[in-house]
Formats: sequence, C-alpha cells, structure tokens
Amino acid sequence: MRDMVFFAALLLYFAAMIVQIVSAALGRQKGCRAACALLSAGLALHTVYSVWRGIAAGRLPLANQFEFASGFAWAIAVLGLILHARLRQTWVLTASIPAAFLVMSYAAFQPMEIRDIMPALRSTWFALHIGSAIFSYAALAIAGGLGAYYLVRLSRGEREDSTAMRQADYMGYRMICLGFLLLTVVILSGAIWAEQAWSKWWSWDPKETWALITWIIYAIYLHQRLRMNWQGRRMALLSLAALVCVLFTFAGVNLLLPGLHSYA
Amino acid sequence: MKKIRAFLRSMTFGMLLLAAVIGFSFAGSMIPQQRPAMEYVSRYGATVGGLIIRLGLDDVFATPVFLLLMAALALNLTLCSVVRVRRLRGSGERLKERARAAQVIAAPGQAQRLDAFLRRRGFCAQAGEGVTVYSKCLFGAYGSFLTHLGLLAVLLAGALALYGGQITDQTVMPGQTLTLPDGTAIEVLSFRIEDETGRLDYASGLRMTDAQGQRSAEALVRVNEPMRFGRYKVYQQTYGTAGTMRLRNAATGGEDTVYLTEPAFLTADGQNGVFFAALYPGYIQDEDGSVTLITSTSGAYADPVYDLRVMAQGQTTPVLAFPGEELTLGDITYIPGEPVSYPGLRIKAIAPGMLGVLYASFVLLIAALTICFFMRPVCVAVRPEGYAIASPKPQLGLQLELEALIREEEQR
Repeated sequence: MRDMVFFAALLLYFAAMIVQIVSAALGRQKGCRAACALLSAGLALHTVYSVWRGIAAGRLPLANQFEFASGFAWAIAVLGLILHARLRQTWVLTASIPAAFLVMSYAAFQPMEIRDIMPALRSTWFALHIGSAIFSYAALAIAGGLGAYYLVRLSRGEREDSTAMRQADYMGYRMICLGFLLLTVVILSGAIWAEQAWSKWWSWDPKETWALITWIIYAIYLHQRLRMNWQGRRMALLSLAALVCVLFTFAGVNLLLPGLHSYA
Repeated sequence: MKKIRAFLRSMTFGMLLLAAVIGFSFAGSMIPQQRPAMEYVSRYGATVGGLIIRLGLDDVFATPVFLLLMAALALNLTLCSVVRVRRLRGSGERLKERARAAQVIAAPGQAQRLDAFLRRRGFCAQAGEGVTVYSKCLFGAYGSFLTHLGLLAVLLAGALALYGGQITDQTVMPGQTLTLPDGTAIEVLSFRIEDETGRLDYASGLRMTDAQGQRSAEALVRVNEPMRFGRYKVYQQTYGTAGTMRLRNAATGGEDTVYLTEPAFLTADGQNGVFFAALYPGYIQDEDGSVTLITSTSGAYADPVYDLRVMAQGQTTPVLAFPGEELTLGDITYIPGEPVSYPGLRIKAIAPGMLGVLYASFVLLIAALTICFFMRPVCVAVRPEGYAIASPKPQLGLQLELEALIREEEQR
C-alpha cells in the first residue's frame, strides 16, 4: 500500500511534466496552472509517502540510494513550487517538473525495502549532512533545468535580452548560489562527521573527491559570472555541465567507484 | 616582479589551480589509491601500471606536485585576500557614489512611490542635493573577502589537522590493557557487536589512565562516538573474533590461555604441539556424516570449529575440534574455548584545540558564503527624473521589481 502511494506520486509528476511541456510549447496558461496543480498533488502524496516510510523505518528516510533519490525529487518539487509561487513564471515549472520526474524515476528503479540503518549512519550529523545534500542537489538540478530551458528557447530564436530569458538566466544563477552554499554545508558537515566516525575529516574517498570536484566547478561558474560578467548561453552551458558532475557524484560514484560511502 | 605578483594573485591563476585540482582529483578517484604495486600491474598491464606507479598516481594526493598545487592555491588566496581587504575600505561610500553618478532609468514623478517601496524593503535613505541614495546590506561587500579568508583558513587548519595528528590502529582483547608510548593506558573492559535488541552496535567499554595516574570515567565507545582523553581520541574502528586455547601443563600444574587471531604453532619444545590454522563460525553436517565448514565470518559464531594440525613425532594429523574438547600431547593439554569478539581501536593523538580551529574555519566559510550570496550590497539613487541601481553583484530581481512598480503606476 505504501509503495502504491510512491508510484501514484510518480504518476502525478509524469502527468504534470506532460501537461507542462505541451502547455509551454503551445503557450497555454491554463495548462501550466493544471501542471502546477498536478505537481502540488504529486508533492502532497510524495510527502505522505516519505513521512509514512520514515515512521515505518523509525528514522529519517534518507539512508540509502532509493530514499536519497526520493528525497532529492521531493526537494526539487518543493523548490520548484516555492519559486513558482514567488515569481509566477511558467518556465520555473518547465525546468523543475521534468527534473523531479526523472530523479523520481531513478528512485523507482532502486531497491525499495526498508532496512535497518547501519551503525556508521547513526549520527547527529546525518540529518544536516543528508538534508542539506538533497536541497543542494535540488537547487543545482533546477539551475541545470533552467540552463536547458534557456538553450532550448535560444535555439528557437528567442532574444537573449528578453525579460523571460534574462530572468531565467538570473534565477539559474540564484539557484546555483543557494545550491553552492548548501553543498558547502554538505561537505563541511560531512567532514565533521567523518572526523567523528573515521578519525579523519578528509580521506579522499571517491564521494568526497567528487563532491569537491562539483564544488570547484560551481566555484568557477560563480567567479566567471561575478568577476568576468559571463551571462546567458555560456552560463547555461556551464550549469548543464556542472549538473552532470552533480549527477555523477550522486549516482555514478556509488555505481562505479567503491569507497567509504558505498552504503549510500 | 610586479607582473609575477599580479599573476600570482590573479583570478586566472586561481582558476588554473582549481582546474589542476580537478584533474588530480579525477585521477585520484578513478585510479584506486594506495594499493600494492602488483595490483596496478595486474589491473592495467605492465606498461600502464608501471607508469601509474612511476608518476605517483597510485597515491596522487601525497605527491609533491599536488602538495605544491595546494600551497600555490593557499598563496593565491592569501594575495587575493590582501588585495580585497585594501579595496574594502570605504566601499560603502564608493557604491553610493557609483549610484549617484549612474545614468538614471526614467521614472519622472515616482520618487515618493520609490521611497515607500525601498523603505518597505529595508533600505536606509540618505538625502542629498537633488538625489536620495537608498542603501542596503553594505556590510555584504565583505562577503567575497570573508569567503576567500574562510577558504584559506579551511585549507591551513585542514592541513594541520590532517597531517598534525598521529594515528595508530590496535586490537585489544577484552580485559586487556594497551599502554601507549607516553604511558597512557587504555583498558578494554568489554566489547559487544549487538545491543540488547539484537541490532548491530559495535561498542567497546573503555577506561583510560594517563602517565600521572589520572583516570577517566568508564565510557562506551561506538562508531560515531569516540572517547576523548587528554590529547587522545579513541575510535571504534573495526572488530574481529579470536579463538581461545587453554593450555594445561601436567608437569608444572601451570595453566595459560592464549588468544588466536592468526595461524600459530602452540608448542613447548618447538617440535611437538598444535598448529592453529583457522576458526570457523559453524558447520553443516550432511546425512552421510560429512561436514561442510561455514567460512563466512559476518554472522555470529553459533557452532565454532577449530581447524588444527596436531604435530607429534614428526607426523602431522589434521583435526577439527570443538570448544571444550581436550587434546593431550605429552604433558600439555590443549583445550579450545569459546571464541571471543574483540575491538579494533583507532587511537589519534592531536594537539588540543586543533579541531576547534578547523571547525571555526568551517563556520567562517559558511557564514561568509551566506553574506556573499544573501546580503548583496546595493544602492539605489532616486532623483526626480528617475532612479539608478548600483551593486557589485547582479540585481536583476530588484531591477525587475522597480520596473514593474513604475509600469504599474504608468498604467493607472
């Protein structure tokens, strides 16, 4: 029954994505409102599922790849809806709904059974480290989504100096600011936790190393934006390239590079 | 010289260094680190494996080039911070001046409306001749400087914490005491693998005593819960299961118990005795009476079996023995006992306060980034004919809000 709620949320995200993409392509405001409603309904079910799972597991439901991916998708939906509520711009949904759906789909392919948490994860740092990670990744995924949206609109002949394009570019930058700050919290809280658990605050574990690579790439993005005044297409491309790094840190490292974080 | 100094503190140099760190990190994550040389040869072949070893890519983060790179990054951050701190003096006034001098966006007769809007947004007004300058978050100008300073502090304190401590790994049997070179003693009072509910919970009961005889309270050391005593931190690192063997000497009446963690030859005369080969957690007996030993050591040792070789008068006889069974060779009786779980402890000696400094640098970096991204300094100069925005950071949000405000009024 609990898993049915998860799949119902996934289905609603899928429906929201289709409605949003079609509406955005046709320029229908009503359709975008429907997509927003579908996303909200999906998020509500997703929240119910996560709380339910958390109660059943007796812990925060963020302890394995499935739970993290589910939390990641949930955070994208939350941030997407907050941004949409603030900006009232449909392109926010065009960027965030597909991201939420894709990450949720990835979660659906992971083993879903609830397992007891391993001793290494029983820490007071768990909530801060993983909680900030899902919101950091979510903000960076939305920034990547906005970058993709920007490039698609550009390829369709939209002017770079139009208000919508400037706003999409700017929001991408603001999302990266938020994601970068949270990624710093992830790395540093993880360092304190690592010192408590393994005695070393930094051990060049593949997950740590890739988190650092991702952090440096976003640091380069911010320097280019703030000091060199890069904007528009170049920044959209860089935010997409950086997102690939985020996704590799999130999933690729676990699949390909064994290390201290192999349980994640 | 001036050119070199300018390059060393430049963003270009900083970006190049960061790109190099990415390159090293990529190599370090893709190539397994600190493995025996033969592993690289068997995995990548003689040519590539040899090259990896020669270039130090098997321990890339300890190579002089990488350490030099980090030192260069620290230098770049230091020089960059020095330049930034110089620029900070009077930055608020300069920003106001920039706003005053900037070309205005036409909004005739909107000064009052703009004033109300900006005040609502927490801007402070400073009236001048024909122009009012509204400012907000001027302290935010320190954000970038503090971020670079925070990063530098993390690098330096991190290096000290990483290389300044001494780490040793030790296994100690419950009931035994480990004495460190400076006389500090670690007494292992107990060890368990599961808690009362059967959940995995590696925990060692420890008590420490320093060279002066000062004793700590008894503490339960778990994963994530190290024990701190003086300059030491003791971690629950790993665990193992040891066999036990009671040795009874009929001639002397003496008795001793030995712990068996690895193959060992137990003998009194060097020739006759019992060789301990392995301890198995259990066995499965088939219907025909044949026995299959369980080799997985991840679970409990439900029916432990000792794999022994009895060596007597030049002959070796393999024997499977169970706890409590007696094997007598001459005067010596060998009695295998129940296995004992023991902890592997990690002992770290680190200067007091070192971690405090490191964590303070973490807090500084996070606070600085928050200031940098969310307290962006901005000034708006409002004149009767319009307004101008000045900020070192992008302010599209404010710009669009002001445009919407003016448009709204025009449409009325």
